[in-house]
Amino acid sequence: MTKITISNRNNSTFEVTGKKPLLNELRDLGVDLPYGCQYGGCITCAAKLINGEVDQRSQVALNNRQINDGYIILCVAKAKTDCTIEIGVESHDKLYRNPFLDPLETHELKADIASKKEEKK
Amino acid sequence: MDGCCGPGYASPAEAIKAPKEKLLYTIAIYTGTGIQKPDYLATVDVDPQSPTYSKVIHRLEMPGIGDELHHMGWNACSSCHGDSNMSRKYLLVPGVRSNNIYVVDTASDPRAPKIHKVVDGSEIKKKTNLSGPHTVHCLGSEIIISFLGDARGEAPGGYLHLNKDFEIVGRWENSMGDIPFSYDFWYQPRHNVMVSSEWAAPNTFMPGFDLEEVGHLKYGRRLHVWDFKKKEPVQTMYLGEDGLIPLEVKFMHNPDSSHGFCGAALSANVIHFWKSKEGKWEWEKIIDVENEPHPDWPIPVPGVMSAILVSMDDKYLYINNWLHGDMRQYDISDPHKPKLTGQVWMGGLLGKAPEVNGVKIAGGPQMYQLSLDGKRMYVTTSLFSTWDNQFYPEIRKQGGAMIMIDCDVENGGMKINKDFIVDFGKEPNGPSRCHESRYPGGDCTSDIWL
Repeated sequence: MTKITISNRNNSTFEVTGKKPLLNELRDLGVDLPYGCQYGGCITCAAKLINGEVDQRSQVALNNRQINDGYIILCVAKAKTDCTIEIGVESHDKLYRNPFLDPLETHELKADIASKKEEKK
Repeated sequence: MDGCCGPGYASPAEAIKAPKEKLLYTIAIYTGTGIQKPDYLATVDVDPQSPTYSKVIHRLEMPGIGDELHHMGWNACSSCHGDSNMSRKYLLVPGVRSNNIYVVDTASDPRAPKIHKVVDGSEIKKKTNLSGPHTVHCLGSEIIISFLGDARGEAPGGYLHLNKDFEIVGRWENSMGDIPFSYDFWYQPRHNVMVSSEWAAPNTFMPGFDLEEVGHLKYGRRLHVWDFKKKEPVQTMYLGEDGLIPLEVKFMHNPDSSHGFCGAALSANVIHFWKSKEGKWEWEKIIDVENEPHPDWPIPVPGVMSAILVSMDDKYLYINNWLHGDMRQYDISDPHKPKLTGQVWMGGLLGKAPEVNGVKIAGGPQMYQLSLDGKRMYVTTSLFSTWDNQFYPEIRKQGGAMIMIDCDVENGGMKINKDFIVDFGKEPNGPSRCHESRYPGGDCTSDIWL
């Protein structure tokens, strides 16, 4: 079992198995979370990972900038360690940006079209 | 609606003479807004004689959260006018993100519609490998719905075929050919043709708009001509830079006409297409909305022409520029040479109309629906939750709005109606965002004639 702390819900904590996506695990424990497609494609359930590690290899919604800013897609992300997360739109301050005002660098694009720079670490 | 026959009207000319709309339905979303409530279908009172005129009089909540209701369509239209067993009773309302399709009974109590059936999104994925539903059209008593992706959200998607009892028949098309993306479609049976357009894969557009992905060919730039009976594409019109992100496709309502239009959202151009005397499909750019300078932007702002609409008499073409904030009316009596005849402003990023009828507008003109007589156009301001959040973040607190434009069908011209506005920022569960609208008796995007 791993412990999930939700920083913007008074640091309340929840025990999860890490075997199912965090969206399902946390909703089963009564946490009210936004979601949409439920397969990692649509960003509606995005949350910010403050501490810890998740496996979200099957997400296809985030570009590399969003990943570097700590965003995780709860409908596919499974907890690998204890985690602290911020949930809901309160965590979305850096998720959305005006693409004309704030363009992405080539290494900040989605993984399938990003240039190499990003993959060094 | 006629009592004698099936749904709709014998011809566009008959449709124009139909009684005025008294109600309309618009979807309103909470998906992506931070409010943990289901999206809903709002009934808006549009009868000026009614005490609740210009107000939401009923809200039909979907069973769960996270659908992102978007476009919708009827179970039947004038394409089965001759079939007295059919009626325009059910509105099909897909959820782009959830894949669910809600079949809403609007006839039992038009003011308070109710859910008749849910076509489950996971069942659609299992049986047809489709996700990301968009445009709903009926063809006779059958229904086809374009989907933008496969079950994993990858392009090009395809078409779901439902029977009149809303059971999944399977995939409608026999082949997608080499079509890379799907979006909108319209068909014109007398020419045995369907034309479809290209947005992007759900996995590309659902999370939001990365401009750089246009250059990486993740967004569309083609129109596709289909052999409608054979259900397969036969010709591609490559629009290139003139047609970046070609979205809404509309044929003329006259069933004999081969002329149609598409709005290329990012290029902010109108593409006109038609069948030549030799039987080949041709296209040309007929309207080009210039990008506009913005005080705070390093590059000029594109219009983002996300919708187009043709009046029932085929005389006027309407377009929007969601980022600029204007709606325009063009006289298309000569479809090769449109003439600008009207323009109004609401919201937008250029600061031309931050407030309409006392309501601060977040967003810009986005979806619109026109009365059958062509005189009343209802416009809403939200595009898609994630894209709204990028371009108009204030919409989260202000919600969407519905505005009415009086359209002069004799001389041309548009004017914002002073007595009508629905502020979805003041909804009981908090600010929601309204989008596509349909009128129970038909409107200018619901009917096709065989």
